[in-house]
Amino acid sequence: MHIDLKKEIKESGPGKIGIIILLLMIAVALLAPVLARYDPYQQSTASLLSPSWNHWLGTNHVGQDVWSRLVFGARTSLLVGFGVGILSTLLGTIFGVSAAMLGGLYEKVVMRIVDAFIVIPMVIIVILISAYIRPSILTLILLLSLLSWQGGARIMRAQALSLKERGHVAAARSFGAHHFYIAWRHIVPDLGPILLVDFIYSVRRAVFMEAGLAFLGITDPTVVSWGMMMRDALSFSYLNVWQWWLVPTGVALSLTIIGLTFVGHAAEPVIEPRLRGAEVA
Amino acid sequence: MFSKGNIVTYVIAFLFILALNFFLPRMMPGDPLMAIYGDEALIAMTPELKAELVERFALDQPLWQQLGAYFVTLFQGELGHSYYYNAPVLPVILGRLPWTLLLVGSSLVLSTILGIVLGIESGWRRGSKTDRSMLAGLMSLNGFPDFFLGMLLLIAFGVTLGIFPLAGALTPYSGLSGLALLLDILRHLFLPVAALTLAHLAGGYLLTRNTMITVLKEPYMLTAKAKGLSQRALKYRHAGRNSMLPVVTQTGIWIGRVVTGALFVELVFAYPGVGYLTYEALLARDYPIIQGVFLMVAVSVLVINFLIDLSYPKLDPRVSYAY
Repeated sequence: MHIDLKKEIKESGPGKIGIIILLLMIAVALLAPVLARYDPYQQSTASLLSPSWNHWLGTNHVGQDVWSRLVFGARTSLLVGFGVGILSTLLGTIFGVSAAMLGGLYEKVVMRIVDAFIVIPMVIIVILISAYIRPSILTLILLLSLLSWQGGARIMRAQALSLKERGHVAAARSFGAHHFYIAWRHIVPDLGPILLVDFIYSVRRAVFMEAGLAFLGITDPTVVSWGMMMRDALSFSYLNVWQWWLVPTGVALSLTIIGLTFVGHAAEPVIEPRLRGAEVA
Repeated sequence: MFSKGNIVTYVIAFLFILALNFFLPRMMPGDPLMAIYGDEALIAMTPELKAELVERFALDQPLWQQLGAYFVTLFQGELGHSYYYNAPVLPVILGRLPWTLLLVGSSLVLSTILGIVLGIESGWRRGSKTDRSMLAGLMSLNGFPDFFLGMLLLIAFGVTLGIFPLAGALTPYSGLSGLALLLDILRHLFLPVAALTLAHLAGGYLLTRNTMITVLKEPYMLTAKAKGLSQRALKYRHAGRNSMLPVVTQTGIWIGRVVTGALFVELVFAYPGVGYLTYEALLARDYPIIQGVFLMVAVSVLVINFLIDLSYPKLDPRVSYAY
């Protein structure tokens, strides 16, 4: 890997914008208790208020402060996103690299499962399972991770296969290094940039999915989430409340996804070096 | 040529879908009848209906006999009985299917054509200002969830401007026919299709643009240019056609995405297709309907993927050598 990921992202205009958006969202999520002015779950009789000094984005149909819910919603989105990102990238690396290293029947079985999962529409499976179990945040992270590591594993295996044939790996093997040692010391570190791209796209998918499931009303109803807020706002689309209730929530969600898309796209030449120089920005 | 390995992949995927369909309700705690039909339905059910359902799906038998009964009913085209609609699941879904096909079909055609054309134009001018703004614009659009786009369109053109209807696929009890009916359907279709098309435009665009960039570096492009072909011929006949291939392979995955996207968009516009049916079923905990929709959508997407895999070597003969 002779492509510098940091440079790749820094040199791309959208890449920089993406990083800024993401840092902003992470800051909002971390500082949620400071930024929020009310308990996001506290109901009151003051429902459907317009924005005012006390309620920056007004209140919703059960009198909860929309601004406070918005900043706490960032926590849910990012927690699910990053949770799934870490877990599915981890699973993808384990299965991808081990398939490349061990080969044989094991590789065949793993890759068959990977291919099978890639052709199955994931969203509909997640909806079906969620309809039965109404997942908590933790269950949702596990569920989405189990269903989304396959794409990464395929790329990781391909890369590991080519790395395996390099001189330094052959040298390590000639010194009697174990499969595991080679994978850990020589293959995984060189996968670095690809891991990051896979991670970013997994986060993006998970943020999308979490919002969608909450919008359908099949996630944990006791945890505030952007998708759920938009679902609530939809029932009041005939009033003018959408201006401060629906739009800021939708924009926050879209911005998060756009930030991830920009960073991911800027880092993509790592996977497909032929794209380099495509954006002279 | 088409490899045997691919068939194995699809068989595994198919078995996984059936396994989810069969085991999920039976793994839930409590009475399987309750898990399959939901507790509300169970309370309201007559003992006769209960007994009949238990018998038909062999629910009082060991698991392997249930599995046998499951396959028998499945191959009879029996997807279960919706208590909510008090009707078999299959006709209920089939009744909603035309609306979804109309919505998904039009969005798929529109977003593919637009995506490819924009991708070709953008890739041709790579690095230019037009290319960069198109790229940034479409990637941003890609970040908008389809249901949010739908809600924005609904509020802008439906609620505020009042140009388009807010919900449904037809004006109820209008007694329209012929051309007036067609126009009414199109008027209802416009916003949902626009939302779905915009939300899924970026996929085809990005893919075509990326391939376009690599194709433009191919030696045959230089040859074509040296022959003195016109810009248009270079752009569309030589570079463009070769850039479309990856889009074709992605169509299967795409159709899956547009179908599930339709679920959300139908909800926003209360468009009476399969997606809205699923949403109503989720609210009513009408599990047989959810399971039926799941089975139909998953299997259709698999079949489409399979057909595309089969046809791909014909579209790109280079692929055959790879096996």
